[in-house]
This record gives sequence, structure tokens and C-alpha cells, in this order.
Amino acid sequence: MPMKKFMNDPANLTKELLEGLVGCYSDIIDLYNEKIVVRKTPKAADKVALVAFGGSGHEPAMHGFVGEGMLDACVAGDIFAAPGGEKVFEALDYVKRDAGTLLITLNHNGDRMSGSKAMRKAQKAGLKVVEIVIHDDIAQGPDTPIEDKRGLGGVIPFIKVVGAAAEAGKSLDEIVELANKFNEGIATLSVALKIATHPQNGGEIGALADDEMEIGMGQHGEGGGGISKMCSADETVEKMLPSLVKATKIASGDKALLLINGSGSTTTMEMLICYRKAKQMLEAMGVTVLPGKCDELLTVQEMAGFQMILCKCCDTCAGYLAAPANAPYWVTR
Amino acid sequence: MTLEQFKQVWAKAAVKTEAREKDYSALDAAAGGDGDHGEAIVAATKALAAAQGDDFKSLLEDMVSHLESDVSGSTSSLYGTLFEGMADAVDAGKTELSAEEVAEVFAAGLEELGFATKAKVGDKTFMDALIPAIEALKAHAAEGEQAMFAAAAAAAKAGSEATAQMQAKYGRAKNLGERSIGPIDAGSASNADIWSCFAEG
Repeated sequence: MPMKKFMNDPANLTKELLEGLVGCYSDIIDLYNEKIVVRKTPKAADKVALVAFGGSGHEPAMHGFVGEGMLDACVAGDIFAAPGGEKVFEALDYVKRDAGTLLITLNHNGDRMSGSKAMRKAQKAGLKVVEIVIHDDIAQGPDTPIEDKRGLGGVIPFIKVVGAAAEAGKSLDEIVELANKFNEGIATLSVALKIATHPQNGGEIGALADDEMEIGMGQHGEGGGGISKMCSADETVEKMLPSLVKATKIASGDKALLLINGSGSTTTMEMLICYRKAKQMLEAMGVTVLPGKCDELLTVQEMAGFQMILCKCCDTCAGYLAAPANAPYWVTR
Repeated sequence: MTLEQFKQVWAKAAVKTEAREKDYSALDAAAGGDGDHGEAIVAATKALAAAQGDDFKSLLEDMVSHLESDVSGSTSSLYGTLFEGMADAVDAGKTELSAEEVAEVFAAGLEELGFATKAKVGDKTFMDALIPAIEALKAHAAEGEQAMFAAAAAAAKAGSEATAQMQAKYGRAKNLGERSIGPIDAGSASNADIWSCFAEG
């Protein structure tokens, strides 16, 4: 089936979407060196900076989360492709400061290569940077080695919490400690109903029959979990939530953040229905569920499905979640 | 091999990979990748063909810079690392390389690549074509440039075809397990085509 999409020359997708992003949110962000989204008003130089990067086609992630209380800079790659290490280094160099910088890398082969390359360049240039790798996907099972767990939508609440700590003026050491702790307590599981298409060539990524769904299909529906017959909203949540609880070790008395992240063509109505069931299950366990989000945070074109993201939150993290943020696609007042 | 011949190979590689762009993307999607290897390798070969330099060192350095700042994705990162190792291994001012020197320079690139990826032969990646090709350069350098590149192209093609029976260990396809067996790895297919450009001269 031919693609039915509002676009121009497929080669210009990234350039044009970034023009739209900084054009629309011109009070919050600006574009530097063509592919780097930066804050319009830079954060004070004595505070730690946060830099992230990733392929485009996943909007609003990652470049939609640059702004007060969140990222300082974000480097966009082409569609579904990590930007090169040189480009990531340009962003690190742009925000460089004595307070230091945290580089946030999602655990995918391409991203890891660019992150490592940028870190080598940053070290040579004498920049103070610490890299942290996000690996929240539990599709392969909670005991999977960290190196084999992909980075999914859990990166967005991570940016919110760690970004607030940076805005509060915490030192790089304190931020790294908090980041590691919060990172350990994030688990994400995805479910797909319909596969994504690649907007540059119209190719379909993966395969799912009309009456099937797949849990744990990863960021682009590339497969990896189990294909099953289509289930109702409640049945789907019942299949997914226990694995997330087990992975995060959330228990009675804990605070948790729950997010339903739409993949691109699942409606907010569906997300809300799934959220409701997951919250009921968590509360029945004695877990305090903090105010969350049902929204499109990290999408994959017309894929139908969602990522369920569960984060264990200490009191400090809960405070940072509630702290002000003003990025194009995440505002907390 | 002269500097001009080396540039010509990459101009030819850009044309050849563009002609097969859709094939590579289809292989990528079939093996469980995200189906854009065609776009990725065409962007990479075009960036390589656009690079400038008066000697091998400056050309290779410009190739790295084009790959890593103008292009995205792991294909460009991997080729960028290969060329970075090659640039480091060649002396400034050289505008012609003997067959032995070509083999040495590529071997240095492969060594550098070992810092970026742990993928080896058998993991269903472009290394399945690249490693045997560079080993063939070393083994056949004494027979002269033409025989050496012919051997490299044949080794790359055989290595690429063998990936059909392999299960992916790297990249997005690795999560598919046995479902990744069947199609040839897209990155190895384009790499084999690039070596055929070297063989054609």
C-alpha cells in the first residue's frame, strides 16, 4: 500500500521537521549547526548541562524535550538513525562548562557508537562529561544482561527527573548518583498492533496479522517479544504490568510513576483506558501512583501500540518530577 | 593505486549503491532491521565520493569528517571509524599506494573498527564481507593490485552470501533470534558491491 503522508522530498524530512519545531516553539528553543536543538535562553553556566541525541522520526522525542528543567541540547540524526559522533561532540562542545555535562545515550548499537565517539573526542578536548546509558526495555526478560536491553521511552521521565536536579544546581557527582539510581528503577514494555512504515522509502518494518498483537516489539516494531492473538485493553495490561513490577521491584508502600506512551496511531482514548487498568492494579498492590502521563512522547510513525513505562520513585525523585519544566512537549508548572 | 583511482572507486560505489538502494532496504527489513540500509549506504557513499584531498591522508580525513558530521546512522559511524584508522596509518604526502600498502592501510582501518564494534565473522553484519575482503588483500597483495582486488571482491561476496544462514547478533535484528535467518545481511551485501567496484578498477 502506498504511503499516505503529508511530506515533501523524503530526503528533507529531518531538516523540515526541525524547522517546524524551532519555528513553532520559538520562545523556548533554537537551532544550532543545522541538527542541534538548543535552549533559547541558556541555563546558568554554573549548573550541569544535559545533552541527548537520537534519530528523528520519533517526534516529539528527543528534540521536543529541550527546555527549562529538561535538556540543554539535543542532536537529531536522520530518520531512525543516530547522528554521527562528530555531531554529538559539537553539542557537548556547545554546552561545555566547568560544572560538567551529562550525555544521555539510548542503548542501540548506532547510538552507542556515536556516544563513545563523542566521549573520546570530549576527553581529548578536556571537556567534563559523564555518559549514562538508558536500557529500560525488559522485552527479553528482566534478567537479560544490561548490554542487551534497548533504550525506549523511559528516557523521557529520566530527562524530567535528572533535568530538574540539574536545574536545582546539584553537582555532576550528585546528578550521576541520582541518574544511576533512577535509571535502575525504570522498566518499559512495548506492545504493537500495527507495524510502522519507514517514511523515507515506505517500507514496512516487521509483520503482524490483522488479528495479532506483539508484546516487546522494540522501538520500531523490529520484533523480539511474543506474538499473540489480539487482546482487550485490560487483558493486555494484565499481561504487561506484572513484568514491569518485577523488573522495577516496586512493592507495597513504594511510589511509582506510570506513563503510557503512544507509538503514533493509538488514540489517547485507548491510552487512558490502559492507564486506568494499570493504575488500579498498582494501587491494589499498595503502591502510590504519582501523577503520570498518557501521551505521545516517543513515537514511530504510524505504528499502533504503546509503551508502558513504570518508574520506581524515591521521595527526592518524586520532588523532581513535580518541579517546573518548560520544553515544547513537556510542561510542568 | 593512485589517489585519482581511489576517488574514482568511490564515485563508482555511489552510483552502484544508489542503483541497488531498494534491494538493500528490502534485505534490511526482511532480516528484521528497520529497512533503511539502502538510504544509509547511499548517503555514506555519496559523502565519501564528495570528499576532497591532495593526498591519501587528507582525503581519508575529509572522508571521515563528511561521514560523521553530515550523515547519520550506524553505517556511517562504522565506515567513519574504518576510514579514521586508515587515515592514521598512511603517511602525509602520499598520492600513490602499492598493493602491499593498500592492504596495510585497510588492515589498520579494520583494527580501529575493532574499538567500535565487537562484531566478528558469523554475526550477520557487514563485517562478514569486510573481514574476509581485507584478509584477501593481505593474502594476495604480492600478486599485484588487480588480482588482489579480484580476490577481495570474491571473498566479500562469499562472506556476504554466507550471512543468509546466520542468526543476527547485532543491531535491531538481533532481537528476532531465529526469525533473522534467511535473508542476506544488507550491510554485507552493499560492502560486497563496493569491493566489486575496487575489482572493476
